[in-house]
Amino acid sequence: MRKNREIKAVFAVIAVFFAGFLAVPMISVLVKSFTGNGEAASFSHYAEVLTGRGFLQALGNSFVISICSALLATVLAFVLAYTIHYTNAGGRYKWLISKAAILPMLLPTITYGFAIIYSFGKQGLLTQLFGRQLFDIYGFNGLLLGYVVYTLPIAFTLINNAMGYIDKRFMIVSRLMGDSPLQTFRMTIVIPLLGTLATSFIQTFFLCFTDFGIPASVGGRYEVVASVLYEEMLGSIPNFGNGAVVALVMIIPSVVSITVLHILEKYNVRYNKISPIELKKGVKRDVVFAVLSGAILICALSMFLVMFVTPFIEEWPYRMNFTLEHVQAVFEDRQLYGVYVNSVIVALITALAGTLIAYGGALVTARSTVSGKLKKVIDSIALVTNTIPGMVIGLAYLFVFTGTPLQNTFPIIIICNIVHYFSTPYLMMKNSLSKMNASWETTAMLMGDNWMKTIVRVVTPNALSTLLEVFSYYFVNAMVTVSAVIFIAGARTMVITTKIQELQYFNEFNEIFVLSLLILFTNLIARAIFRRLAKMSESRQNTAKIYRFSEKKKAA
Amino acid sequence: MKKMNFKRAASLTLAAAVAVTGMGLTGCDTGSSGEQVIIYSNADEEAITAMENALDNNGYEGQYMFQTFGTSELGGKLLAEGKDIEADMVTMSTFYVESAQAQNDMFQDLTFDVDTIDEFEPYCAPITSQEGTIIVNTEMMEENNLPMPESIADLADPVYKGFVSVTDIAASSTAWLLVQALVSEYGEDGAQDVLAGIYENVGDHLEDSGSAPLKKVRAGEVAIGFGLRQQAVADKADGLPIDYIDPAEGNFSLTESVAVVDKGDDTNPLAMEMAQCIIENGREELQSYYPNALYNGESTDAANKSANPKVFPEKLTVDLLQKHEAISEAAKEEAGL
Repeated sequence: MRKNREIKAVFAVIAVFFAGFLAVPMISVLVKSFTGNGEAASFSHYAEVLTGRGFLQALGNSFVISICSALLATVLAFVLAYTIHYTNAGGRYKWLISKAAILPMLLPTITYGFAIIYSFGKQGLLTQLFGRQLFDIYGFNGLLLGYVVYTLPIAFTLINNAMGYIDKRFMIVSRLMGDSPLQTFRMTIVIPLLGTLATSFIQTFFLCFTDFGIPASVGGRYEVVASVLYEEMLGSIPNFGNGAVVALVMIIPSVVSITVLHILEKYNVRYNKISPIELKKGVKRDVVFAVLSGAILICALSMFLVMFVTPFIEEWPYRMNFTLEHVQAVFEDRQLYGVYVNSVIVALITALAGTLIAYGGALVTARSTVSGKLKKVIDSIALVTNTIPGMVIGLAYLFVFTGTPLQNTFPIIIICNIVHYFSTPYLMMKNSLSKMNASWETTAMLMGDNWMKTIVRVVTPNALSTLLEVFSYYFVNAMVTVSAVIFIAGARTMVITTKIQELQYFNEFNEIFVLSLLILFTNLIARAIFRRLAKMSESRQNTAKIYRFSEKKKAA
Repeated sequence: MKKMNFKRAASLTLAAAVAVTGMGLTGCDTGSSGEQVIIYSNADEEAITAMENALDNNGYEGQYMFQTFGTSELGGKLLAEGKDIEADMVTMSTFYVESAQAQNDMFQDLTFDVDTIDEFEPYCAPITSQEGTIIVNTEMMEENNLPMPESIADLADPVYKGFVSVTDIAASSTAWLLVQALVSEYGEDGAQDVLAGIYENVGDHLEDSGSAPLKKVRAGEVAIGFGLRQQAVADKADGLPIDYIDPAEGNFSLTESVAVVDKGDDTNPLAMEMAQCIIENGREELQSYYPNALYNGESTDAANKSANPKVFPEKLTVDLLQKHEAISEAAKEEAGL
């Protein structure tokens, strides 16, 4: 079996990579939780953390706020998706909803807090527009708003996709059987979607539970686990042992939630035939949902309005004259501009190397005949990376790589991003590769091509649009991540998000907003380019087929 | 035809890959060139600018890089990382430099003369001395009919509930200026009582950064803050609706110092030169923001002289800070934070 030698080499590279950059660091966290800074192994750190004033309170807070946010985000996302799939709200409007709903994803969470403070604070933009402060922004309210806006895009994407797969003909059946509208709604929409709704709830819960950016700015006195972890590690008197314990506690809910997700996957009802049907006319329904969706999106996006306003004003809110001074200052500041360049480079290399690794992993599991055990290893790696919060990976790297030449370097940040976000790209790749004709490799081999050639000539061109999607996913996430890199970026290797964290300390909101705008536009442009490329590669494949067909006809 | 297409696609992808990696690698190279001196600092913007000017005007432009942190973050890094720290040089609250040296023996003795008014350890030279004071937003005070406070203890008065912002001593050394004033005036128990009252008024406006209360006063989020005196002086001169009141308990001060990390053979020789340059050429501009005299031959200008300068009777150390933190934590509990 010549073929397996190469695929085994790919497997070996991936296995060694994750052993070094996932297994070893995570084990060191576990060890540190018992030994701290080289003391004899004991449960003392566990005792200290678990009985410490405020920790259990913070843990409880984290649960409460995450559950509330996840519920709300899921319900709101459901309304948005319902408007798209079950109303006659007009194609343009639906298109707008689907685009606007995912916009917040392109901004780092650390920006959110600032957007909230300068929108809803006492002198905030929206407060001034309304003439009074709408609600108290620090603590529960601010966190809830931030988390819901942050997780809405993810919940929406999940529910929107799943709704597209529901066979709408069941609605006709249900109606013919004489069900009441409520019964029809329950039987043909809610029940088939239960799995997806649960998935959405768990995913958003997990994101809220592990996020660091939002509580860093609007947490107020509402302490959550992420802020406790940050304080233990980078507070005035750092305690690595306690930090390790907090990190491990943080993993438990994620392990539970991912396990539940795994079980839920099996119950996801999928209908393969998608048949567009004429929806029953219902002007009332259309108007209600169109207005609801509009209101949700306006509320969610209005807090970002301030980003486009204050950086262009002299001294908010006292000297309200238009100026480009602040924007110019960012571009003239060598260090700030350098930080932007760093971010783009890190995101590009993360995307490139990450895509290669996800592709390699997917080739092993989806297009090879190696033993199931090896495939299981890669699947498990994907599962594990999905359960570990970014902050915990960053912390683990701090333990392992401090004092080595890798400390505070770009490679370690890039590797951290690749490991942190491995799961989704890998599953996307695997899904796409397993749909392709299984006999290609055999056919190619019979024709004398070796494995490498087959991959390069046949599989890669056909997977190109997914590869680009994966590339885009890695790029955008590497641009916005803060939790994973907060512990490992150095002075020479600052990226925008860590710089914002630094600027936040001095409340330099103009710079923060200008940098956030840079991230937003970079991501928008990058996504547009990758989408265009993916479309081109798809249509090229299609025209190529037609072309070949007509060539053949001519030849005949 | 088929082959051509695949080949083209493949070579395109490869070419793109090579180009991107190449770009990345060259990016890395310029980014991590070993020559730039990395300076970790907890200083505020004005002090950083002054130090940058001193370095740039003396031929060091582009040869160094500042990285700023909050005091507790940088303090934590110094204690935890010791000589493994990325920085070649630090500017930091003097008591933290001293404690880090005691724990990790990580700084070199300075090789130039440091002619200070007060005595300093041989491995550090002071760059600034900062005082704390009460800051008010005059517009907000009028709008809400608030009486002017005269002492820090006044801030515990319930009339100010929701209108006060102070820093948390667990994160920022500026808060220590406030706690020192309270402990020296009212004793530890008395300080805890006053603090509890202040925390009740402060609520969500307990900040991590020394300049945050002033920023909040400036933004009108609160009416009164406790912050660095020279920043309020500058804001008032700038025409903003800001005023300051030197508290009856006294204006306490903290110094920040420069120190050079001892990295053995890897020590960047430029670091020591730059430290010397900052002290010899930066003090004039530094003093324009942080007016207190530190070196023989300097004097504090009259406009910036605080009404009631005081020094805490004990030596400032991380241990003392921890003790005062404990008082603050107890006060937080009392206030229900």
